[in-house]
Amino acid sequence: MRIEIAAALAMLTFGASIAEAQGVLTIGRREDSTTFDPIKSAQNVDNWVFSNVFDVLVRVDKTGTKLEPGLAESWTISEDGLTYTFTMRDAKFSDGSPITAKDAAFTLLRIRDNQGSLWSDSFKVIETAEAKDDKTLVVKLKTPSAPFLSTLALPNVSVIPQKGMEALGEEAFAEKPIASGAFVVKEWRRGDRVILEKNPNFWQADRVKLDGVEWISVPDDNTRMLNVQAGQLDTAIFVPFSRVEELKKDPNLNVEIDTSTREDHLLINHEHGALAKKEVRQALDMAIDKKAIVDTVTFNLGEVAYSYVPKGSLYHYADNLQRPYDPEKAKQMLADAGASGLSLNYVVNAGNETDEQIAVLLQQQLLKAGVTVNLQKVDPSQSWDMLIAGDYDISVMYWTNDILDPDQKTTFVLGHDTNMNYMTRYKNDQVKDLVAAARLEQDPAKREAMYVDLQKMAKADVNWIDLYYSPYINVTRKNIENFYQNPLGRFFLEDTVKN
Amino acid sequence: MHRYKFILHRPVQFLPVIFGVSLITFILVRLIPGDPARVLLGARSTPAALANIRAQYGLDEPLWLQYFYFLKNLVNGEMGKSILYKIDVLPLIATRIEPTVTLILCSVILSILIALPLAAIASRNQGSLPDHTVRIFSTLGIGFPPFWLGLMLMILFSVKLGILPVSGYGETFGDKLAHLVLPCLTIALSLSSVLTRSLRASMITELQSDFATAARARGMPESIVFWRHVLPNSLAPAVNLLAVNIGWLIGGTVVVESVFAIPGMGQLLVRAIFSRDYMVVQGVAMIFACGTMLVNFIADILTVAIDPRVKL
Repeated sequence: MRIEIAAALAMLTFGASIAEAQGVLTIGRREDSTTFDPIKSAQNVDNWVFSNVFDVLVRVDKTGTKLEPGLAESWTISEDGLTYTFTMRDAKFSDGSPITAKDAAFTLLRIRDNQGSLWSDSFKVIETAEAKDDKTLVVKLKTPSAPFLSTLALPNVSVIPQKGMEALGEEAFAEKPIASGAFVVKEWRRGDRVILEKNPNFWQADRVKLDGVEWISVPDDNTRMLNVQAGQLDTAIFVPFSRVEELKKDPNLNVEIDTSTREDHLLINHEHGALAKKEVRQALDMAIDKKAIVDTVTFNLGEVAYSYVPKGSLYHYADNLQRPYDPEKAKQMLADAGASGLSLNYVVNAGNETDEQIAVLLQQQLLKAGVTVNLQKVDPSQSWDMLIAGDYDISVMYWTNDILDPDQKTTFVLGHDTNMNYMTRYKNDQVKDLVAAARLEQDPAKREAMYVDLQKMAKADVNWIDLYYSPYINVTRKNIENFYQNPLGRFFLEDTVKN
Repeated sequence: MHRYKFILHRPVQFLPVIFGVSLITFILVRLIPGDPARVLLGARSTPAALANIRAQYGLDEPLWLQYFYFLKNLVNGEMGKSILYKIDVLPLIATRIEPTVTLILCSVILSILIALPLAAIASRNQGSLPDHTVRIFSTLGIGFPPFWLGLMLMILFSVKLGILPVSGYGETFGDKLAHLVLPCLTIALSLSSVLTRSLRASMITELQSDFATAARARGMPESIVFWRHVLPNSLAPAVNLLAVNIGWLIGGTVVVESVFAIPGMGQLLVRAIFSRDYMVVQGVAMIFACGTMLVNFIADILTVAIDPRVKL
């Protein structure tokens, strides 16, 4: 009886609150935003909303492989690759003030120099950034950098108003920013939702069909899916692999599967005993049945990986070597290398269902090649410290690209730069030099050839073992159209329609 | 009136407890392996960038100095700055208190509304079918894990019947109430089981006590014996049980808030722990500790008020 009264009450009140939201798209995600100061976050949960609220000088297109003009209408690059001259588009901030080259210069220097910037490393290459006039931005680099243009598409270097930022102060801006993108932040109920409404001053306002967007935090995967099934959310992102089949059967829902740049890989500590030998690492590669991992862990929604440059991204080499799964041959190779009866310490992220599943699979598979694997389950933030310290033999990690250029990941993984080649301690001077050269090369065809070589060399040396690529999976109600992400994760909500 | 004297001197005892809690949470949260700077920077963290963040938030200072700053802030009524959200901890927590307190309060009220009649029926019909039914109910209630129970309630009331919101927290009072029905029911179903068992046991004891027998001997009808004599005497243990369970309740809201996406302190705490946001963890722990003390304090006052024999 009590429940009935409450239910009746609920119907009255809740019925009223759904009726108003006509052109407002509600999106369920795991966590709420942490800030609206673009330079102060390195998390997808923020970046994906930055892209709705801010515009960048140069954008990445829907395929995630091409750059296109954003707030910079056009640009020229000097012969020596050091001077970039951008022509600004006629555009306005949400407060009605014009977006000028001054604002763009301010933005670039701020992300480079600000104490709180998490991205200063990526922009250290900038020597000067100056506004010649309101429309002309001139950026001088310290060294030529082929990937520079694509770093300008990072949501973190979104163009922000110098005057507006100085008037509001950093903390107030981070709470309720002045927008340069398709939507403005109308209200941010911390821990619950970010409420966006259409920005009438956006230079492409004609393109935006939605009146607004609500990013709603629903941490539990099951609850988030139920919300869409019950029609209380229009869409939910981060659909678990295991739920796709069931959701596809629901006639009210669309399951949207978009290519991402995520690659899961098996790190190998090259400094530990037999793992220093290339032949041993190659044998391990052959002892792992990646297809079985794709089937079991991703419910066949992923794809076997064979290059560190993920499928669908710039300069991906589709013909890279794929060693066949052959535990017998692997066993033989290990014996030939004097590594029979190999025993490995595998650091597993405890509590991560996917990681734990992979661990058990790999343990069984490697046993067939005579390799004993000891699983060591630790908390995810502890595992990072262990990897840095070299306190492991093998461990599964993943990487997603922030920029379309392969340089960023290549530098981290093969550049012999910081973090010991992503904690693997992999050493190959030829590879190191090629990574540096590829960064400077201005001719796209030559650059592509260099990255193809790098992919082959990494595979030959087995810097790590590529496991699988996996897509973004989102679910929407049938009345939602054009809700998708590009491989770098950007949601094109300016194209989304709610019928 | 001297029976209520403890109201004056009890709060003084809170101070050392608060100090102890601050020290323990400070140490415990730093004992968990991991590093907030690394969580903030993600996979791209380089040694230089990590050092920069650590310096900004004073994480490179010696521990005793960090603790001193924490205490100094606390005395000034501040709790430091969140590393994840980059704003002061206190305003961050402030908006989260209301949903959690409302959730706990409504759950307790609902639990009492469920437990009282069940315990009364069971104790007055001891050994009969209604009694067994109640006992089975209370065993089941303890047995079901709250996250599972929550999901089942959602599927039934929100997806199949479509009469209640799946999750979240509303804006208006009515909206909030509607959103709280299922989470409160989830907590109340397990809390009322514990409560029913305790109430039933004390009611049975009181029903068989000398004063109840004496009342019956005077010819007092059974219902009056129950309402006038048995019930008031059975309440005191139940109030204490609720107070003792406040810690469990707070723990329960952490799970329930996550399952039902209620933007309360429990959810804030979970995310703060995962991102090693030390200041927020310390802040929430302090608030929870103060809340627990406050509830126990109120329970003591209630116990003294209910039972004239109790002296504290």
